[in-house]
Amino acid sequence: MPIRFGKNSVVLDGACAVEEALPLLEYLQAHPRAKVTMRGCTQMHTAVFMVLVGIRPPIASLPDEAFMKRWFAPALKGEQA
Amino acid sequence: MTTPLLLRFVSEARDLLQFAASGLLALERNPRDEAAINDVFRSVHTLKGSVGLFDFPAFTKLVHAGEDVLSAVRAGQLPISSEIVDLLLDALDQFGAWLDDIEGRRGLSDGADGLSRDLTAALRALLPDDFGAAATTARSAGELASVDWLPDISEAERLEAFRAATSGSQLLAIEYSPAEDCFFSGEDPVNLFRQVRPLYGLIIEPREPWPAPEAFDPYRCVLRFRALTAAPRAEVEGLFRYVIEQISVVPVGPETLIAVAGEPNGGPVYGDFVADALALLAASDWEGLRRSVSALHELTGRHLFVASALRWLEAVLGAPAPDSGWVGALIDCIAQGSSVPVPPCNSGISTTPATKQPHSVTGPLARLSALARDILDGQRVILEMAAESTTFASRLTAVGCTAANVLRGVVRQSDLEAWGSAVEASLADGTPVAALAELERLLNASTGAPSEVTAADALRPEPTGTQTQEQRQAPARVLKVDQAKVDALMNLIGELVVSKNSLPFLAKRAEEVHGSREMGREIKDVYGVIDRLAQDMQAAIMAVRMLPVSEVLDRFPRLVRDVARKLGKRVELVIEGEETAADKNIIEMLGDPLLHIIRNSLDHGIEMPEEREATGKPPDASVRIKAFQEGDQVVIEVADDGRGIDPERIRAVAVAKGLIDEERASRLTDQEAVNLVFAAGFSTAAKVSDLSGRGVGMDVVVTTVEKAGGSVSLTSVKGQGTSVRLGLPLSMAVTRVMMVEAAGGNLFGIPMDQIAETVRIARGQVRRIKQAETFVLRNAVVPLVRLDRLLGVEPPLWFGDADQEEAVLVVRIGGSLTGLVVDHFREGMDIILKPFDGILSDISGYAGTALLGDGRVLLVLNLKELL
Repeated sequence: MPIRFGKNSVVLDGACAVEEALPLLEYLQAHPRAKVTMRGCTQMHTAVFMVLVGIRPPIASLPDEAFMKRWFAPALKGEQA
Repeated sequence: MTTPLLLRFVSEARDLLQFAASGLLALERNPRDEAAINDVFRSVHTLKGSVGLFDFPAFTKLVHAGEDVLSAVRAGQLPISSEIVDLLLDALDQFGAWLDDIEGRRGLSDGADGLSRDLTAALRALLPDDFGAAATTARSAGELASVDWLPDISEAERLEAFRAATSGSQLLAIEYSPAEDCFFSGEDPVNLFRQVRPLYGLIIEPREPWPAPEAFDPYRCVLRFRALTAAPRAEVEGLFRYVIEQISVVPVGPETLIAVAGEPNGGPVYGDFVADALALLAASDWEGLRRSVSALHELTGRHLFVASALRWLEAVLGAPAPDSGWVGALIDCIAQGSSVPVPPCNSGISTTPATKQPHSVTGPLARLSALARDILDGQRVILEMAAESTTFASRLTAVGCTAANVLRGVVRQSDLEAWGSAVEASLADGTPVAALAELERLLNASTGAPSEVTAADALRPEPTGTQTQEQRQAPARVLKVDQAKVDALMNLIGELVVSKNSLPFLAKRAEEVHGSREMGREIKDVYGVIDRLAQDMQAAIMAVRMLPVSEVLDRFPRLVRDVARKLGKRVELVIEGEETAADKNIIEMLGDPLLHIIRNSLDHGIEMPEEREATGKPPDASVRIKAFQEGDQVVIEVADDGRGIDPERIRAVAVAKGLIDEERASRLTDQEAVNLVFAAGFSTAAKVSDLSGRGVGMDVVVTTVEKAGGSVSLTSVKGQGTSVRLGLPLSMAVTRVMMVEAAGGNLFGIPMDQIAETVRIARGQVRRIKQAETFVLRNAVVPLVRLDRLLGVEPPLWFGDADQEEAVLVVRIGGSLTGLVVDHFREGMDIILKPFDGILSDISGYAGTALLGDGRVLLVLNLKELL
């Protein structure tokens, strides 16, 4: 399971496929303050990414993976480049 | 890997293309031909349905565009014209080429996506603006999108891209708005960009405000992607091939990246620097300017506006040949402390060669694109600001060049000239008024142009799938069978005919050896029945192999049209009797000879329209192809009403080329002279054109046709036209031969069509002329050849009286008669001729072998090679 839901935190690990988007959304809807850790995430489907930018949960860490680190950061952190 | 489905698609698609092409030509002749438009539409529609089964998005999209155009034509919204037909035919040609690719390599060639999009755009541009929903979603070209978001990319990334661009890469801006339901079709837009390399910028934004968290739908994609890359266009288009109508790719000039931003500085005024820099710029001292820029940069806080401008200056100066227009604009930025639009490259007193064209604003429509308008607007701002500036004159020149570059090829020449004179007027009186007024006029004239397609409209996905199923035609009651299977049947029936022939031998044996006449008669009865059945069966199988000649004639309307247009001649092609059928091999072999004949006719035979009118002929020449069956032959006649062949000229050319001597030339009848065009190496064309006249042509036609057992004849009346007649056997499967006995009792077959007659002549009538034997046949001297000698067997010595007769087979080879002495004549028979193969195939003198009813092998002679 690439997404592990904790009590008040969620960890994205490995490749997050399109079917993870709905569970993630439901979790974030239920736990608005849950922190998202993405350090170990290697690939993220657009749908998952869309949930993250749409809901804007607090981010604990960005992915280490180069592509996501470079291009997702502005959208996830909400800062204009 | 061979998929049967794919192979079937290819063969079906070829038929559909052929059908569509002929329909289009009919439509061009008669635009009101409802049946033709329906035919074309149905073919393309079916093609769209079947290509959709495979993974060739480029193909599918182009077919779709073609279908839309046809649908508009059908609905009467679009009048058909030669241009539309040309474009559609181009598209059909492209399909044909892709089919070849698919068949050969199981995939489309590289660049197919871009090609498809260009053609698609050209087709869509034909559509009326109010054409149905499917059409409006299509953008007329991917070029119209605005790139005003580029400054949103971080400065560091833009600087990086800028350096790549100035070192020769073409930058592309990609805007991708995925369909809302794209996740359901398995797309993952973000990860498409992972494969775009190098990627200089990627901005991911929602297209609309985010909904409240509770109303959030994770499977409705509302993102929009904008990226900047230096990847080659074909690669980008290949990557996005499935969503190519949802992306727009715009080439970006490096100057569009230059945008200076930062905190305004209340600190020192950079007046000194600006004065120095302008002086260095005027002297084109890039090295000095570089030094001074980097010195100032080190002293400036990095978040300041000036620092940003300096970084850009460094980048611009870092190019091998810095663009003075850009440098000037950036220095202005620093001087004024606010952003100044940067002109496209190669403006002002630039020394940069014009390698990077500013923007491709020449769309299919001669209107200003959004981008061009942005640039012009920018120039207007510069002009307004420049009014108070000291550098007014040089700026005005730069603006003049820039705007002219943008306008060139987009607006009318008169507008361009008006702009030039307005700039001169402004220069003369030192105020920008005249130039500004003209710029306003241009901008206003071009706004409201219907070319504006908003991004949302343009990026809406096309409706897919549903209607492809609706109109699927009822399957025709046709069986597509591999030719090899029919050939196998043909061989089997041949064997059956041969074994059937052994029954009479058996009957004879029953009578003679076993002495039972009754048995013999019964066998003959049975033989009669089997014989009839076998013959019916043979006829039926031959009928399977029969194809109508339209199979090969269908491509000529298109060919004639194209060639005639190219030559500037007006030709009407009439085809008659296209339903005449002949064996598949014959039909297939007909293609090239007919092509030669028709090209010859168009190139040499048909005159130019003026020439025709001068001689009192209608300007439209006619070429008539007529096919019909005559006895056991198919005849195809190609007749034109052109200038005909001049026998005098043929004689002269033939003598000049050394084909015949003068004396013989003068003895030739006109018809014989005309026939000289069939001689190898004969060409009267004064110069070689790409159509015909290479001196191969007609003799190739003759060789090919004769190889198939046919004949060619040509008649021509000077000034009235030429007619070429091809006669071909209906089928090559069965050959009629006459058996003869020679060389000591051996049987040989001689093709019946070469035999003129059989005669018996008394030995006393044979005359010797030196070494050669001859005899007189109806007052003509005919050379006599002994078959034994031809076959390398010494003829038997002859002692006896002069009344004894020789069996002489008179054969016609190449138009002249020859007597062939054989031992005995035997019966004629139908055989299935099997050419020699393997190591025997090199043996000359024999056409092949056939099996006789009693199991013996009959050698069939090729007299042309023997004599």
